[in-house]
Amino acid sequence: MAPSFLFSQFMGGLTTAMFLFLIASGLSLVFGVMRVINFAHGSFYMLGAYLAWQGVQWLHPTGAGFWAATLFAAAGVGVLGAVVERLFFRSLYGREELYQLLFTYALVLILGDAAKFLWGTGQLSVSTPPALAGSVQIFGTTQPIYSLFIIAIGPAIAFAGWLVLNRTGVGRMVRAAQMDREMLDALGANVGTLYTGMFVFSAFLAGLSGALVTPIQSIVPGMDVLIIVQAFIVVVIGGMGSFWGTFWGSVIYGEVLSFGILIFPGFSLFSVFALMAVILIVRPWGLFGRPL
Amino acid sequence: MTTTALPATLRRGLVARRVPWTLVVFLVLATVPWVASRYDAFLAEQIVIDALFAVSLNLLLGTTGLVSFGHVAYFGVGAYVCGILMKTYGVPFSLAFPAAGLGTAVFALISGYFCVRLIKLYFAMLTLAFSQIVWAICYKWNDVTGGDQGLPEIPYPDLAWMDHVPGLSALGIGDRFYLLTLVLVAVSLAVLHRVVRSPFGRMLTTIRDNPERAAFIGVNVRAYQLAAFVAAGTFAGFAGALYGIFSRGVFADYVLWSKSAEVMIMTILGGMGFFWGPPVGAAALVWLNQAITSYTEYWPFVLGTILLVLLFALPGGIVGGIVGLWTRARGRRGA
Amino acid sequence: MGYRNRLALAAAAAALWPLAATAADTIKIGFPIPLSGPTAVYGEPILKGAELAVSEINAKGGVLGRKLELLSRDSKASADEAVRLARELIIKNGVDFLAGTLTSAEAPAVSTVAKENKIVFVAPTAKLTELTLPPQLHPYVFRVASNTDVEGRAGASLMAKWKDVKTVATIAPDYAYGRDSIASFVEKIKKLRPDIQIVDQQWPKLGEADFTPFITAQMGKKPDAVYCSLFAGDFVTFTKEATPLGYFKAIKNRLIDGAEVGTVDEAQALGDNYPYGIIADAYDPVIWGGAGEPAEHKAFEKNLQTFMKSKYGSGWAIVGYEAIEALAEGAKKAGSTKSDDVAKAMLGMTFDTPVGKRTFSATSHETLSPEYWGTMVKDAAYPFAVIKNPESLPPSSTN
Repeated sequence: MAPSFLFSQFMGGLTTAMFLFLIASGLSLVFGVMRVINFAHGSFYMLGAYLAWQGVQWLHPTGAGFWAATLFAAAGVGVLGAVVERLFFRSLYGREELYQLLFTYALVLILGDAAKFLWGTGQLSVSTPPALAGSVQIFGTTQPIYSLFIIAIGPAIAFAGWLVLNRTGVGRMVRAAQMDREMLDALGANVGTLYTGMFVFSAFLAGLSGALVTPIQSIVPGMDVLIIVQAFIVVVIGGMGSFWGTFWGSVIYGEVLSFGILIFPGFSLFSVFALMAVILIVRPWGLFGRPL
Repeated sequence: MTTTALPATLRRGLVARRVPWTLVVFLVLATVPWVASRYDAFLAEQIVIDALFAVSLNLLLGTTGLVSFGHVAYFGVGAYVCGILMKTYGVPFSLAFPAAGLGTAVFALISGYFCVRLIKLYFAMLTLAFSQIVWAICYKWNDVTGGDQGLPEIPYPDLAWMDHVPGLSALGIGDRFYLLTLVLVAVSLAVLHRVVRSPFGRMLTTIRDNPERAAFIGVNVRAYQLAAFVAAGTFAGFAGALYGIFSRGVFADYVLWSKSAEVMIMTILGGMGFFWGPPVGAAALVWLNQAITSYTEYWPFVLGTILLVLLFALPGGIVGGIVGLWTRARGRRGA
Repeated sequence: MGYRNRLALAAAAAALWPLAATAADTIKIGFPIPLSGPTAVYGEPILKGAELAVSEINAKGGVLGRKLELLSRDSKASADEAVRLARELIIKNGVDFLAGTLTSAEAPAVSTVAKENKIVFVAPTAKLTELTLPPQLHPYVFRVASNTDVEGRAGASLMAKWKDVKTVATIAPDYAYGRDSIASFVEKIKKLRPDIQIVDQQWPKLGEADFTPFITAQMGKKPDAVYCSLFAGDFVTFTKEATPLGYFKAIKNRLIDGAEVGTVDEAQALGDNYPYGIIADAYDPVIWGGAGEPAEHKAFEKNLQTFMKSKYGSGWAIVGYEAIEALAEGAKKAGSTKSDDVAKAMLGMTFDTPVGKRTFSATSHETLSPEYWGTMVKDAAYPFAVIKNPESLPPSSTN
């Protein structure tokens, strides 16, 4: 195998990885701190994609339109997240995790139908913004510029997240809430606002990722459900509560898939599940997870 | 976490009236082939089978506190084992059905061994992984499972012996199978009820409430959890076997994780804290589904909204809500 | 409400009652099809096509003096839900016929219920050959769709024409449809051009989010041409990822896709990102990129676009339309709506469609529907790709 071919596969795996990490990062945040299994995270992602498309339609479909539409989409989903958290989630925190799951499941049904009602069942597509269109030659291989952009964004978000969590006051509170929510509350910190903020930020990230992937994805009904299981899996593989764990979990998944299909052509169908099974059997807390 | 037993006032109330409610329900269901419309008979059969599936899940969920996202794997394995034996190899139902249970039990033992070593969401995700791997195998193994086309036309069991039973000889094969299903499910539920009420079941509840304490007093927590896992899986397998025949075919759709979500909704909606919660949830969801889908294509919105309302209005599920009403009514009357 | 008003209302109700009675005397067709989730991309337009057929037939007076009534339901792309709906439609709603289903499991599932209840079932999209082969074949099942054999062979016959192509790769979704269509293509191309070598086969799963690893793996084998069975959202995603990687450039756009990506639905979704120059097919090209468009087709498209309130309609609606046309013609020919009579009448029956006549084979109950193939080109009149000179490839020409 030529080294340039291996490099191509490696970059291909990274694209898959960072694409998934974008989506899973918000999930990791919300699960790591709030221990909330937000099944509707995929719905936020899907709405981000639809809103981005809508934004591009409204604004002039030039390159500038794409970035404004992306921001519009992410903000819109963030607002939705705020509404959902304030109105419903608040009252579910003390209760069984399963009730939260049931709630998010109902939310998935409702939001999915809302998207169908607003945008129909057809497939939609957004063009790559001209600034990032085209490709470059690296090591004798063709690399799409937009893929490089996605690959760069992933670690950027991971690093930014790490920075906030470990170097800021807010981050300290978040980590404290992760360890002991009641104590933090007793110490007078406004845990309620903190939780709302986390949830909104996670929704924002989901909407952002949905918007950012539209140049390389088709927007179809059901994309919420198609992606959510994979996103959960990379969070679990990396270890819940660990932001970097999700990052490395995504990378491992992307590369395992990329090289796995060379060895075993039908691998894609169950690759992510086989990977998770192997990792959980060997490391019951995921790669970087701490015992719950 | 709510208790698994009905409150004393309700139990006394039922006992005082000496009404064996479960027997009454069973007898009412038994009259369905004669009393209900043909389509309602099919709905009843679906509810009965789903009830067993949901109760088997609740052995894990409510009784042992193990949240499984992959329970549908055992339903599917049972369906495929029974279906393949009956359709491809012409094995009679009397052998295929127990074989389905046995096959599922073995699979539950192997997969459960790995799963119970994990806790909470990790446990749930590993169960999901196994169920999706089962799905992938069923989806791809064309020669054995029929692949993504599945195995249509599973034969009905040979129920000619019912000709000799007075009153049953006039029934068609569909109705005869319904009665057989009802009996098998009733027996299974009776067994599960015994299991939950037994010392073994009480130990599972103890483990659910405080696993560290249980381990401290010398209980092999994992062994108990594995036993519960195998039992739950086996009865899910029985439900699957019946479902394959009822639906006239076994398809890879049966092993999709979305079906795991459905049965979990049934269990939670009906009330995890009560043995009869899941069957009530199954009845509610089956009825809701057919009512909503015949009315509008925007069924997800309607169903989602109803689930949302029920979730907030009935914290203990439907049965919890009924019990709550009863307790309040008794309280007002000054019991 | 005053006394007078109530009386008037009662009188009106009494006057209208006979109409209600007539309404109950309609010919009912049950139509379970996915209307939610990823497969709704097809389900919706197919249903619209069926609804258009029903409204047109009713406008002309119906069948045997009775109007048609379509009862559609969301099958959720789930086989057991389709079974439940089929039972509900037959038993509770008393439908005379069934049509619909989309996925490879739904069709055999409903076919079984149709067989047991002796109701005619017409499948508009199921392409897997097993549905109309023993043991699944029975007197009541019919198919207006094409099948994977016809499709794969047509693709091979087109690929064979490229004399300078020596190495070929395939990419298709990893399930029965993908596997069967590729198998049929490979079998045929080996017969037509024994000099061609299959150098790579990729099998992404249905609904794959990222095709990049598959694309780069395939490009590494440097094929001259590609035969592809990706469709709908997968084809859109695949194209958007493959183009910047230079995939289409490397094969000089010599890609043949037999999974109906030549439809306006697909072309509109991709817009200017469509890989112009590939060969694609459609049951209905909608826009006839060239001369020779049949008059019935023009009329059909106009009606469809009005009915769907969409500027360009859909290339998928036709199969739903054909299913209803077939049932209507079958009832007319049998002179009855009893499934036993209609099933017999439909054997060997020819019926009209806007894209030509179709005949149900007396042995296999299929129409072996040909599809329209052609190169996808940019046309100044439209903001998306169209098929240039669509050519109908009937099974006889590809056998």
